[in-house]
Amino acid sequence: MNYLLPERLDRLAREYALGTMTGRPKRRFEKLLRDSPQASRAVAAWQERFSVLAAGVPAMQPREQVWNGLEQRLFAPTKPAASRGPLQWLWDLLSVRTLGSALAGIFLCVIVLRSQPGLVGLETPSEALPASYVGLLLDANGKPTVLANSRRHGRQMTVKVLQPVAVPEGKVAQLWAFPAGASAFPVAVLPRLPAVKESVSFTLPDESEKLFSNVGRLAVSIDDAPARPGEAPPPAFALSGHCVKLW
Amino acid sequence: MSQVALRDRSAFERLYRATSAHLLGVAFRILGNRDRAEEVLQEAFMNVWNSAGGYNPGVATPMTWLINIVRNKAIDAVRSGKTERSSTVALDDEGMDVADADGLQPQELLDESLVKVNIDRCMSELNASQRQALALAYYRGMVHTDIAAALNAPLGTAKAWVRRGLDKLKSCLEAAGVTA
Repeated sequence: MNYLLPERLDRLAREYALGTMTGRPKRRFEKLLRDSPQASRAVAAWQERFSVLAAGVPAMQPREQVWNGLEQRLFAPTKPAASRGPLQWLWDLLSVRTLGSALAGIFLCVIVLRSQPGLVGLETPSEALPASYVGLLLDANGKPTVLANSRRHGRQMTVKVLQPVAVPEGKVAQLWAFPAGASAFPVAVLPRLPAVKESVSFTLPDESEKLFSNVGRLAVSIDDAPARPGEAPPPAFALSGHCVKLW
Repeated sequence: MSQVALRDRSAFERLYRATSAHLLGVAFRILGNRDRAEEVLQEAFMNVWNSAGGYNPGVATPMTWLINIVRNKAIDAVRSGKTERSSTVALDDEGMDVADADGLQPQELLDESLVKVNIDRCMSELNASQRQALALAYYRGMVHTDIAAALNAPLGTAKAWVRRGLDKLKSCLEAAGVTA
C-alpha cells in the first residue's frame, strides 16, 4: 500500500496527530514518519491545526514543587555516596589511587577525552558525561585535597574533600578564580567542609559557564571574612590547582 | 527555544514559567487528576530540555511543539493505566476544588476554543454528536472505541463522526486563513 498518496497520508496523519491511531497501524506509521519528510510534514500540519483546540483550555498553575523537581532531576549535582553518577569514575579514581600530583589527574582527563571523543557528544544525553568544570586543588605539599566540580550551565558546585582541610573557628575558606589575562576574583565562600571522602554542594553566584569559561586556576584562601567583590586576592593560598573543562 | 537547545538554564526556566500553566491545563483535561497531570508536565519538560535541539521552527511553533509533547505523554499515561489508581481512590479536597472551579466538559472546551479562533460559526454546521466525538478525541485522548462507548454509538458511526469533525475543522481553518 502506498501510504504517501496525498489523501491517504492526510487521513493517517490526522489520526496519528489526534491520538486515535493505536497498535500496529501506529507502529507502521511511526516507521513511515522516520523515513518520510512528507509524512512528518503532514503530521506537523495537523498538530498545528489541533493546537487551536487547546486555545480554550483554562490554564492551571502548577505547584512550585513541579519546577523544583525538574531542577532537582536535571541540574542537581551528583551525590557520590548515594549512587554512581556520571563523574563516579573520577571520584573512584581519586579514592583508590594515590595521585602524585594534580597534573596526573589532569593528564588523565585529557587522555580519556582525546581517546574517547564519544564521551563528549556521541552518546545519548543520559550516557554522556555532563559538560562540567572540574578543579583539583592541592595543599602546600602538592597533595590533592579538594575536588570541585560544577556543570557547565549549572549554578551548583560540589566539593569533595580528599584530605582534611583545617579552617579555624571564626575563619572562612574563600574560593578564588584566576581567569587568563584578567584579575583574580572571589567566587564564593565554601560551606563548612565535611569529612574526608564526603561532599558538600553550594550555590554559585552565577552560572558556571559565565564564571569559569576563561578560568585556568582555582584557589582557596583561609581568611577572617568573605572577600568583597573586586577585592585583590591574598599573597598565599591554602589550596590551589588547575581548573579544566570537561567537554 | 534556541537558547534552551544551547542548554541555557535561565531560558529554560523562562519557557517553563511562560507555558506551564497552559500545558498543565491540557494534561489535566486528559488525565482528570492534578497530581498525575503535574507528573506528566514534569516528564514533558525533561523531554524539552533533552530534545530542544531537535525542535524545528520551520515545522511547528514552539507552543504547538510543547502541546504535542504534553498531550502525547498524557495520552500515554492514560493508556498505560497509570491513572487507574486515581480513578479508584476518593478525590482529595484539592481535586474537588479543581473540579468545582473548572468543571468544563469537552464540548464546552471545544466551543470556547472555536470562539477564540473565530471558527465557531463555520464549525456549527457539525451536529452535536460530531462535535462531541471530536471533543472527546482531543480533550480526553479517547480512541474510537472509547468514543463509541461514551456516546453509545456503533464503532463505525463514531469513526464517521470524528472523520467528519476533522474534515470540517480543516476546511474552517482554511476558510479563516489559518493555514498549517
